Order: sequence, then C-alpha cells, then structure tokens
Amino acid sequence: MSTPNRSLAIRKLANTLEFRMLGLAVVLAIILSFISPHFFTERNVFNILDQSVVLGIVAVGMTLVILTGGIDLSVGSVAGLTGIILALLLKEFPIPVAIVLAIACGGLIGLFSGVLIAVFGLAPFVVTLGVMAMGRSLAYIVSGQRSISGLPMGLQDIVYTTVLGIPTNVIFLIGLYIATWAWLTYSKGGRTIYAVGSNIEAARAAGLNTRFYSIFPYVASGALAATAMTFSLAQIMSADPIGGNQLELDAIAAVVIGGASLYGGRGSIFGTLMGVLIMVMLRNGLNLLGVSPFWQGTAIGAIIILALLAERLITWRSRRV
Amino acid sequence: MLVARGVTRVFGGAHALKDATMTLRRHEICGLLGANGAGKSTLSRIICGHLPPTSGEILYKNAPLVVGSARDALRSGIALVAQETSLAPDMSVLENIFLPSYAMPGRLSFAQLRQKAQAILSELGHDHVLPLDMEVRRLSAAQRQLVEIAKALALNADLVIFDEPTASLSPTEVDALFDIMARLRDSGKALGFVSHRLEEVFAITDRVTILREGRTVAEGVPTAGLTQADIIRHMVGRDIGNVYRKAPAASAAGERPVALEVRGLSAPPAVRDVSFAVRKGEILGLGGLVGAGRSESAEAIFGLRHRSAGKVLVGGREIPPNSPIAAIRAGLGMVAEDRRAQNIVPDMNVGENLFLAQMGRHKGFGRGHAARRKQARELIERLGLPADRMDANLLHFSGGMQQKVIIARWLLIEPEVLILDEPTKGVDIGTRQTIYELLREVAERGIAVVVISSDFEELLGVCERIVVVSDGYTIAELPASTLSEESLTLLAAPRSSAERNAAFLRDLVASHGGTAFWGLIDDDRFVCLSVAEAGAKEAMGLAAGHVYLARETAIPVALERRGPGFVTEADGRSTLLTRLSNRRGHDLGWIGLSLPPGSRLPDPGSLSARMAGLFETPQDAEIDA
Repeated sequence: MSTPNRSLAIRKLANTLEFRMLGLAVVLAIILSFISPHFFTERNVFNILDQSVVLGIVAVGMTLVILTGGIDLSVGSVAGLTGIILALLLKEFPIPVAIVLAIACGGLIGLFSGVLIAVFGLAPFVVTLGVMAMGRSLAYIVSGQRSISGLPMGLQDIVYTTVLGIPTNVIFLIGLYIATWAWLTYSKGGRTIYAVGSNIEAARAAGLNTRFYSIFPYVASGALAATAMTFSLAQIMSADPIGGNQLELDAIAAVVIGGASLYGGRGSIFGTLMGVLIMVMLRNGLNLLGVSPFWQGTAIGAIIILALLAERLITWRSRRV
Repeated sequence: MLVARGVTRVFGGAHALKDATMTLRRHEICGLLGANGAGKSTLSRIICGHLPPTSGEILYKNAPLVVGSARDALRSGIALVAQETSLAPDMSVLENIFLPSYAMPGRLSFAQLRQKAQAILSELGHDHVLPLDMEVRRLSAAQRQLVEIAKALALNADLVIFDEPTASLSPTEVDALFDIMARLRDSGKALGFVSHRLEEVFAITDRVTILREGRTVAEGVPTAGLTQADIIRHMVGRDIGNVYRKAPAASAAGERPVALEVRGLSAPPAVRDVSFAVRKGEILGLGGLVGAGRSESAEAIFGLRHRSAGKVLVGGREIPPNSPIAAIRAGLGMVAEDRRAQNIVPDMNVGENLFLAQMGRHKGFGRGHAARRKQARELIERLGLPADRMDANLLHFSGGMQQKVIIARWLLIEPEVLILDEPTKGVDIGTRQTIYELLREVAERGIAVVVISSDFEELLGVCERIVVVSDGYTIAELPASTLSEESLTLLAAPRSSAERNAAFLRDLVASHGGTAFWGLIDDDRFVCLSVAEAGAKEAMGLAAGHVYLARETAIPVALERRGPGFVTEADGRSTLLTRLSNRRGHDLGWIGLSLPPGSRLPDPGSLSARMAGLFETPQDAEIDA
C-alpha cells in the first residue's frame, strides 16, 4: 500500500513546475560545463552564487507581489535610489544604522505603492511604473548625477566574511529563501497572500486581513530591493544613480520562469530560486563563452521563451493523457 | 431534428460521458436530467460545439454534424444557455446579448439591436430592471442569468439548450421563461432543458432523457407517464424519501434566546430597511425575488458591504460594520451566494479551503490548522467528504461536494449564527437532501441558521419562519406553515405590483367605504397581505404582513363561510370575499371588502367580478399576445 503511494507522491513532485525547472537548471549546468571548461570550477560556482545574491533577494519580494496578483516595476529604481541614500548615510552614521535606515527607506517607498494599490484601488502596473520613474529621477538628484565612492572599508565585511568557507551574502540568500518558504507555507500571513491572489473575495469573506496582506508584499519588495543594493554596494564599494537598472525585468523573468502565475495565487519561492539560478547561469555561461554583451539579451530572451513554451507543451500533453 | 448517439468524452483519464444518447425533436422540449457529475452539462456543450466528443456521432437535420467550434454550431442554428455564465463582464448588457453577432458578417446597427434587445427583455418581464447600458460586472448572478437567456433568444436559433437556466431565478421569472419556452416550442423549435428541479421538469418538458454516470439510462421517455419517484430512481439508482424533513413545531422557539438581531439595516441602493431576529436553534428563511436585496442584506450584516445605518447584534452585542473579521469572531458565519467567485480559493486544495475561515478567525502567527484537526476529522467523516483527497483541487469536485466543503468551513469554527445564501444552487437532489439534513442538525445543536433562497419550495420546506424582503424592505414575517409557494410569490412581489394592489384596494374603499383587504386563508388562520381603510373609525385592526386567528378578527363568520355574496357577522358587519387565481390556476388568496354595520351593500356579483380582475395585469396580456 505504501509503495504505490510513495511512487505516486514522487510522480506528483516530478509533475510540479519547480521540479522541472530544477531539472532544466541541472541540464543547463551540465551543458555549460561541457562547452566551457571554466564553468564547473569551484571559483565559478561561487561566482554564480555571488552573482545570484542581488537578483535572488529582489526576486523574493517580487514573488510575494506577483503571488497577490500584482507586479512591482519599481524595484530597480528603488534599489538605485536606496543605494545612493545608503552611500550618503554611511558618511554620517555607523554602518549598521545606515543599513537599517536605507532598508527602512525602501520599505517606506513600498508602503507608498502598496497603499495606493490596496486602499485606493489603483492598478499595480501603473503605480509602480510611476514610482519607478520617480525613484530613478530622485536617485540622480540626490547623488548630484555622480557616483559616490569612498565608502567605509568595514562595509566589505558583509560580503567577504565567510562561515565554513561560504560567504555571508550567500548564507543570507539561502536563509532568506528558507525563511520565506516556511512563512509562505506555514503561516497565516503567507497563506493569506496566496488566498488574496487566488480569490480575494473569498479571502475577505473568510475573515482574512486582505488589505494588510495586499500592502505588505510591496513593503517587503521595497525593503528587499534596498537590502540587495546593500550587498551590491559592499561588492562594488561605490553607489551609482544608474544602479539596479532593469533589475525589475530580471526579477519578473526569474519569478515567471519559476512557475508563478502573473494572475496571482500560484507560484513558489523554490521555483523563483530556480528561475534566479537559470538566469544567472545563462549570463555567466554566455560571458565565459565570450558571447558579445549585445547578443546576450537576445540569447537570454530566447531561452526564457523556449523554456516557458516547453513547459506549456508538457502541461498540455500531460493533461490530455 | 438532432440525434446524438454513442457520445463519449474523456477528461484526463475519467469518462465524463460514456455512450450517451439523446434525441431532440421539433415542437418538443426535452428534459435532460441526472445527478451532479452525470454529464448533463458535458453533453449539452458537445451538442453545442463548445467541446469536441472523444467518439460518437451527432446527426443534425439528418446530416452528420461536424462542429469544430461554437461559431459553427451557432451558424447551423444551435445555441446554448450556459450554466456557468459566459458573459464579458466589462461590456454592457446590450453588447453581451449581441456578442455572437460580432462574429457574423455584415454591419451592425446599434439602434436596431437596442430595439430588439428591449423587446426580448420585456418578454422576459425585465425591461425595467435591466438597463441595457449597464456593465455586466455590476449585475447580480440572477440578472446575469437573464442576460444569458436573452443572448440565446436573440440568436433566433432552431435548437436551444437551456443548461440550468432557472438556478437563480425567482418563480415569477421562471414562469415568464416557461411562457417563452412554450412559445418557442410551438413555433417549431427544438429545445433542451437541463434542470435539477423536478417540478420544473414536469411543468415544461414533453420528454425526458436521464443520464447516470455518463450513460443514458432513459431516453426520450414522455414526461406525462413518469412520476417524480421514477425520475429520482433513474437518476440515483435508488429511492429517496421525502427531501425535506419537516421542521418541528415552532412553539418552543419563543423561549429560546435571540442569537442574531438586525435592526433597521440600510445599505443603499439594494438594502433600505431590513429588520429581523433569529433565535438559537431556529432556521429562518429570507425570501424574496432576485434583486430584492436579500444577498446584499446578508453581505451588509457580515461586513462585506458598507452599511449606512442600522445595527447588527449577535448574542445581544453589537458588531461593527465593514469588518468580516469582527463578524466571524462574534460568531457569525456566511456561505456566500456565488460559490466560485465568493467562496472557493481555486489555487488552494480542499483541505486549505476547509480551514480558510479558521485561519481568518485564528489570531496567531501560524495557520491555526492544528487547533481544529479533530473537529475537521469529525466533520469530514460526518459529511462524507473524501478524506484521502484533501490535497486535490476543490474545483475538480461536483457542485454539491464543493458546497459541503464550504459549509464545513464554517461549521469548523463553531459559529453562533450561520447565514447561507442559496445553499443548494447547482446542487443535485441527492446532495440537496444531505444539505437540508445537515442544516436541521446544525439547528438542533443550537446554532441559528438563516437561509436565503429563490427556491420558495425549498424555503418553505426547510425553514420554520420566513421573513419576506421586497425592494430592500422587510415587509412581512410569517411562520412557514401559513404560506404556500404562490402566496410567498405574491408577498415577495416587487413594490410596483404591490403598489398596484394597494391602489386597487384604495379604489375599492374609495367607492364603497369600509375596509378592503387581500390575504390568505389557511384553515382557522388569516394572513393579511395588504389592506386599505376608508377611515380610522371604520378600521378593523388589520395590518399587512400579519397572521390572525380567524376567531380573533372582526369577521370570523365571513372567514369561515367564504361567500358567495355578503356575509353578515353577529355585530352586523358585512363582508364579501372573492377568490383570486392567476392564469395558471394558482391560488392567489382572497380579496375582501368589509363594511361596518348599517352600510348600504353594493351588488355582490359585479363587485366580485371587479375584485377578480385585480391580477389581470397589462403585463400578462402582453405575454399572451
């Protein structure tokens, strides 16, 4: 009795989109390591993980927003603006205080979007498009159109400290994904986010706090954009007003590759992680292969579309049988 | 006209239809019956080209019908009134009615379409309540159903299949629809009629085809030779006793404490002044026509709709407006009308849907599932829910099963008051019976139950007391035992006709004096529906919406003898009673004129004739024409 049940459970797992995306990521890694001898080296693996941190953190916020059926186009420019704010704060305050204040700024910007969307009923696309434009323009104004360097050396510690040989930024990323997974799966708030995206009427009628959990993802998204920028600053040790440019597009792509529905209610944080890794590996592999940066956009776009198309074809076939 | 033979349809490994057969003939209405999941909707959709069959053949006008798409079917004159409404929510009523004509060649004339739409809606008796320019999104479920029907009528198809068209309509609207269906039949069209309501099947169909588990078990049997029991036996494969278990006498109800009290509730525009109270362990019905404001009242009570005035008290404590969370914590539960849109969270599995209200009520950080595991297990067992399929998608279950899960969602949090809006909509007869039994059981455990239903038979069968809502006002509150479907229909009539009736009574009084009234006589009881008085000194102490014992009124003899001619009481008061009935022969109660002692009595013959004319309304004449 237990054996068929277990094989059924395995088949069910194999049928989930995240699992197939994990397969795709593994296949991609194998192909790339055959083509380029430099791909599957310890140094490059850490490189990939390192490069995943910024996109990975932003994609967590984006996942929450997309699960409620919304979208956040402002993360790139919020990252740029909070990066500049952090650089300026670091000149006045100790490092931890500056970081906390910068993250709070990101959260406040998210709160602004969230309230406009959930309380005033404006369309998420339009609100965050507006915030995106304002954020980028303010980043230029606050920075005086220059990049800001000369940040305190201590900032590097959050990236270059290692625990058991693993850099702290990678540990933070893994911890964030595990915590978000647990929260989305087992807490009232996490389940409310799914219910809001799936059927907000039913969620409201069941007594869930739909308004709070419609706003919260935007706050989280803004705060996480600022968090991601903190790690980025620690690596580059300078803040540029163009920082985080087009980050929103990569984040949305990662979430969608990870199987989330843009209509909300469907998706998982594990899928998003797979989407992030696929995106980063592609870019890394194309760099190693010496593909011109101008062709990389075409290649990545084509691969995203092909992956989603293959997924859709598989779903159709499995549904017909 | 159309023969479907050996139709089989497979959905992902499961047979929705297995060798189904159906014949539709000109000049006939053929009923298509079956329990939920028997494949009625699938067969209708295959015939109308919305789905291709896996195998089987369909002959239409003696030629094999190859329908690749719904558009092909429409071209060949086949239309479907779909159960799950297939309307474009952001387009106007008018555009939705003529949506299929967008696919037809040629130019559109909106002025012409508008006229045609107006004509169709007035046939349905809804020209004044369904503005053509209103967006469909803003309509109620029933109004959408009417638009769906109008859409099929506008196509002027030769063959129309109605898939549960009456699910959310009130009896008057059903009557109007049946008139239209009968007319279509007489003009030589072939009609298919899918319904759960057996009374309707008997009222309108000529033959019935019955499906069970995807197979045709009875094909084209003349309706006249069948009884309800026959049909149920075919549908479920076994006998079912009386669906309703009669409510216990309401006598004990008086002593039980009030669980929910609503005072002067107002939530414009649908709800104007709604007041009622329901006691612990009582099942109260909220009756009225579709659009009368019943669902909206329930939403306002529960905090889903903004209320502008009035108080809602649960167990004597007032609950704040606009907060479903507060309502739930105070002990209210509500099963909303639209299962798909308001109750089910489609991306969550059965188990999570079951726990949803518990999660809302729960105050902690976690989901709060663990706290109610034991109750959940008991409920699952008692309701016959599939315990091993708790991780399946709720949408893959039949409507009846979905409804049971939603009701269980609320029972799980042990509410004081449970409001159910159309609890058996789209639910097959077997499951309906279990839902009724469940409601009875819930009431016996001391929970106050409020049932909203457009199915007056259901309302009378399940509830002890009925509060009638019309145009946003509570207009009467009566024990269910004093009412019949017809009298309830009359009470619930929209204000326009209520006003017409009142004007008629006022006219009577103006020309003859005394008191004119319209009401129902039930053995020794008199239910007053409407009353007009010439002056305070001629008053008899009758008030609309109240029940009197005949011997306690001023006219006990008249009420017992019921004419003909004037009947004089011991104190000299004379009363003339005339029986009313509509074209279909339904009893519409009695109309009476009572004159104080010493009045000059008018000629009873002509007065009776005038009274009987009350329901000969211009609208009825139009439908006949």
